[in-house]
Order: sequence, then C-alpha cells, then structure tokens
Amino acid sequence: MRKHWGLLGLFLLVCMVTALCGTNFLTAYNLMNLVQRTALFSILALGVGIVIGTGGIDLSLGSVVCLVGIAVPWLLIEHGWSPWAVVPIVMAGSAFIGLAHGLLITRLRLQPFLVTLCGLLLYRGIARWMTGDQSQGFQGGFAELREIAVGRIPLPGLDTFRLPATAIPLIALAVVVALVLSRTIWGRWLLATGSNEAAARYSGIPTGRIITGAYVACSLLAGLGGMLFIFDVGSAQPSDFGNFYELYAIAAAVLGGCSLRGGSVSVVGIVLGTATLQVLRNSIILLGLGSQLEFAVIGAVLLAGVAADELVRRWHGARLERRSAL
Amino acid sequence: MTIQRTVAVLAAALSIMATMALAPVADLVAAQKERIRGYAAKPLERPHLSFVSNGVADFWTIAKAGSLAAGKELGCEVTVVFPGAGLSDQKRMLEDLVIRGIDGVSVSPIDPKNQTEVLDQIAEHALLITNDSDAPASPRLCYIGMDNYLAGRQCGELARKALPEGGEVAIFIGRLEQDNAKRRWQGFVDGLLGRSVDAERRDDHTKPFHEAGYTIVGTWTDSFDRAKAKANIEDVMTRHPNLALVTGLFEYNSVLAVEVFRQAGRAGKIKIAAFDEGAEVLVGIREGIVLGTVVQDPYGYGYESIKVLHALTQGKLDAIPEGGIMNIPARTITKDDVDAFWSDLKAKLAAGSSAR
Repeated sequence: MRKHWGLLGLFLLVCMVTALCGTNFLTAYNLMNLVQRTALFSILALGVGIVIGTGGIDLSLGSVVCLVGIAVPWLLIEHGWSPWAVVPIVMAGSAFIGLAHGLLITRLRLQPFLVTLCGLLLYRGIARWMTGDQSQGFQGGFAELREIAVGRIPLPGLDTFRLPATAIPLIALAVVVALVLSRTIWGRWLLATGSNEAAARYSGIPTGRIITGAYVACSLLAGLGGMLFIFDVGSAQPSDFGNFYELYAIAAAVLGGCSLRGGSVSVVGIVLGTATLQVLRNSIILLGLGSQLEFAVIGAVLLAGVAADELVRRWHGARLERRSAL
Repeated sequence: MTIQRTVAVLAAALSIMATMALAPVADLVAAQKERIRGYAAKPLERPHLSFVSNGVADFWTIAKAGSLAAGKELGCEVTVVFPGAGLSDQKRMLEDLVIRGIDGVSVSPIDPKNQTEVLDQIAEHALLITNDSDAPASPRLCYIGMDNYLAGRQCGELARKALPEGGEVAIFIGRLEQDNAKRRWQGFVDGLLGRSVDAERRDDHTKPFHEAGYTIVGTWTDSFDRAKAKANIEDVMTRHPNLALVTGLFEYNSVLAVEVFRQAGRAGKIKIAAFDEGAEVLVGIREGIVLGTVVQDPYGYGYESIKVLHALTQGKLDAIPEGGIMNIPARTITKDDVDAFWSDLKAKLAAGSSAR
C-alpha cells in the first residue's frame, strides 16, 4: 500500500473537490454508480495488469468485450439458446482467444502488440459480421440473469446504499489474483518472467506456459467484463461497444503501479487507478464542467497525479537511503 | 494485380488528386446536370450506385434493405457502405467508391462543412445526392430525408404536452457535429419552449438556459460509447434530482434512458421523449413509461435515394425534386399505434439482414 500513497492522495483529492464543489456526490445513488463502474472497468484492468506483469500487452481487450457483449444477447434472444449454454460457451470462447494469443506469442514468437492489435480488428469484425451490424439487446427479457450485473445487495446498517452485484466478482477476483501473485510459485514465476524473461527461462521457469496463462486469464477477464457490461447496459452496437476500453484498462493498470516493462503488478493499485478514472469522469458532470472538457481534465489530472506519485516515491527512496547511510 | 490495373488505379487516384483544385459548387452542379442531359441520349445500362451511411446502426440496416430493394426493382448494381469509425472512415470509403468508378452516390455526410473536398470530388466524377443529413453548401443535386428541425420540434412538442407547467429537462445525444443532430437539437428546444418555427435559430448547447418555465439543464454527448452514455444519464440524475424529463435524440440515448430509469426505480417518474425505434423504447411506450418516439423512414431514404439516382442516370433531370429537397416526414409513435408500427419494423429489419 505504501507505494500507492500518491495515487490514494489523488483519488481522495478528486473525491473531496467533487464532494465540496459538486452536487450530490456523496449520495447513495451516486456512490452505487461509482462502485458499479469501478467494478466493471477494474475486472478488465486486472486482466490487462496480469499481462503487463509478464512484460506483454493486450490491445484486443475492448474487442473481446464487444464480441462477448454482442454474442450473449445474440445467442439468447436471436437464437433462443439457454443461459446455461451461453455463459459457459462465451467464457470458453474467451479462454480460447487468450490461448491463441499466448501460443502465437510464445510458440510463433510474434510480438504481443501485433498479435493483440490483429485481435482488436478481428474480433470486432466478427461481431459486426455475425450480427449484420444490427445492435443486440435483451429487449426487456432475462431480467433475472441481468441481476448478476444490475442487482443491488442490501448491507446491514445501511438503508439507502446497497452494494452493486458486480462488486462481488471484483472482490473475489482481486483476492484471488493478489494471493496468486504474492503467495504462489506461479505468481513469483510470472513476475520473474516479466522482470527478465531470458533469466527466468534459464532458471528453469516455464516462461512459455506462464505467458500463455497470463493471456488466457486476461481474455477470460475481458470476456467476463464484456458479459457484465452487456448485462449492465442492456444493448450494444457491434461497431462501437467496448471501443477504447483497452486504453482505459491499460491506463488504470499503469496508473496503479504496473510497469509496462513487466515484473510489477499491484491489485490494490489497479482498483485504485480505475476508481480514480471513474470518479474523474463522474466529477465532470457533478461539477457542471462542460463535457467537452472531459478528456482535457482527465488527462491533466492524471498527468499531475503520476508526476506527484513519482516525486513522492523519489523523496521516500532518498529518505530511506539517508537513513541507511546513517 | 496486373500492371495495367495498377496503372489504372494510380491514374484514377492522380485524377482525383488533380481535382483537389476544384471548381465552384455551381459549376459542379452544372457539370452534373450536363452529364445527366448526356445520359438522356445514352442512358447508363445497369448503373453502379452507392448508398453511404454516417455510421453503423439498425436504422442503416433498414435503409440498406430499401436501397437493395430499389436496386433489384430497377436493375442497377447497388453498393451499400457503413463507415464504422467516423469522419475519416467515411472519407476513405467515398474516395474508394470514386476510384471504383461509381456512377452515383447518396451519402449522409457526417460533417458537411469540413467535407467539402471529398463531396466535390464525388460531384466531379459521379452524381451526388445526400440523405438523412443534408449538405446544402455542397454540389449535391438534392437531399432525401426528413427535415430534422421539424422532427426535433415534434419531439419537443411531445415533451411540452407532457410537461405543460415547465420543469427541468436534460438532452442526451451521441454527437453534435453533424447537420442533422444540430437541427434536431434546435428543433427539440424550440418545440419544447413553444417558440415560432425558425430552422436558422441557433442556441448555445454548451450552457444551461431557462425560458418559459423550462430549464434545459444541459446537453451531453458520448461519441457512441454506450457505457459512457449510460453514465451520463446516471450522473445528470444525480446532479439534478428534480429532473422532470429527458430526451435521447439518437436511438440508443433513449434506450439507455429507459434502462437507467428502470434500474434506479424512476421509470415513469422522469418522463422520456424519445427518438427512433429502439426495442426498449417501444416496450417502454407500450408500458406507458415513454411518452412516445419520433421515427424516421430509413427504408424510404434508401429506396428513394436509389430511385432518384437511377432516374438521373437515365437522363431524367426532372427526378430532382423541387427545391432540391424530397421530404420524407417523421412520424410520432405513441401508445395508440406502437404495436402496428413494431410489426412493420420487424418485417423491414428482417429484409435488411437477409439482404446482407
């Protein structure tokens, strides 16, 4: 946590400014919305964080979100399949996409950037082709299934605030990923692979399998995210659903302390980074700033935050050095 | 690709570049009319015509069905293209059509003021008409579609009728760059506020304003990101707890308003004046949580576009409608006629997807 003081400070600062100068920031409804959006985007960011940990990148994430998000209502509504078939099939499909990425990168030695960039084009193209560019939605159906994403869970002692259901998979995934990374040999191997793949390979670490596993995990999480997104939004158009989500996820992961050079992943940082991005977007409307300013404000605040974070780290490092010198 | 084909493509590309120094609009219109007169003596056999949308949506799938039906009926080759990535994508597709030697193009320009070069290029090499969103300053021969200002007014009047005492109103729209969006927005505002008809009026959409008992708390765009569009509605509801009515001026904006209000338990409490025929909106009208929706006739846009272009390639100059505008008016669908409208829509959508 210590290494996230800068980010935590930025997050709290944005929250405080919005709460003090904006309207209704601290209402239960707004907080529920923020938890919901943070959970949805954090699931994607966790996946890409794992891949970044191996020193790779996944640009296809937004298109996987699109393909899965389109496939779910397409199979349920257009083809009348049962949810018991659709959910396992789309998740297996997502895992297969990740496996294909991993094998192309490790066996064929293709660049991760290139493989996933092609994936970005391919999966969106498939989604557009299979639906004939028609938007897909639940048309008021499958309300119970959609509760997985739009449900709100009552909490003891809180009347108006109910926990968005998407927080549950996020918490479970965050705990699992954090434990795997910090407490298991696989996690250690993953970070070692990201730090120096050649050294890890010569030490006997099965780097190919580790990297492939990371891409499978990333695509699985993107598939899960896509499914939750479509349950939340209710309808999607294949040409724009999930556009640029890979960039939001990568930005959140890097903001949360994942190094693009690999070898470093922080689950807490990823969730905090995503939450900061979502609160910033929320603040634009609650502060009454023109929506035209949105990207400029987000860009400026994040740049300031990352710079502040780096300065805090350097100052902390210098202080430790001085102490050890004494 | 053979050397000859490569040379031919390069020559076509060079000739397009050469027309970058373009003739004035009036000259380009006159040149097209001269070409049409030439067709009177020698009509084009099986002309190659194109219908170009401004994006990808169900709306355009229906328009495609209309275009292809007209093509089949009239014996012409029809290419329908949907630019999926905005302005640059549309420009690329239009240039490619010119290089393919297209005879006539009906396009819904995304940003006509900044697309003069590419529209002029088409007019130089083919017959140009517009659909859905007009480009009056371009050398287009005519516009086929509804008057977006009047359609916006219809939606505004629907809202005014449901909210006679005034109140807070929020507007959601995918983007405001294109002509039809601007006119639709202004029409909605004028209809809501009970103003006189003036399609040239321009209010500032970036600021909230208060008039005649109504407060327009703001206009929010989302660049077609649905999660963002949903978040916009949620955040505006948070910021403006006394919101009385919202309108979604693009299809999915209205659909998402229905979604958000259902999820927040506010369905029916905040009124929705909708645009276009999203399934959730039609369900909402049936259930009484959406006041009504203003719908266009995309099938008619596609069908009439190809019909007019075909007639022009046969030398019939009188196919250009009077005043250069063929108005296919919008309709307001309410609880009374929603079921009949929906059955007709399903049939057209099915025709659109089977035609791909």
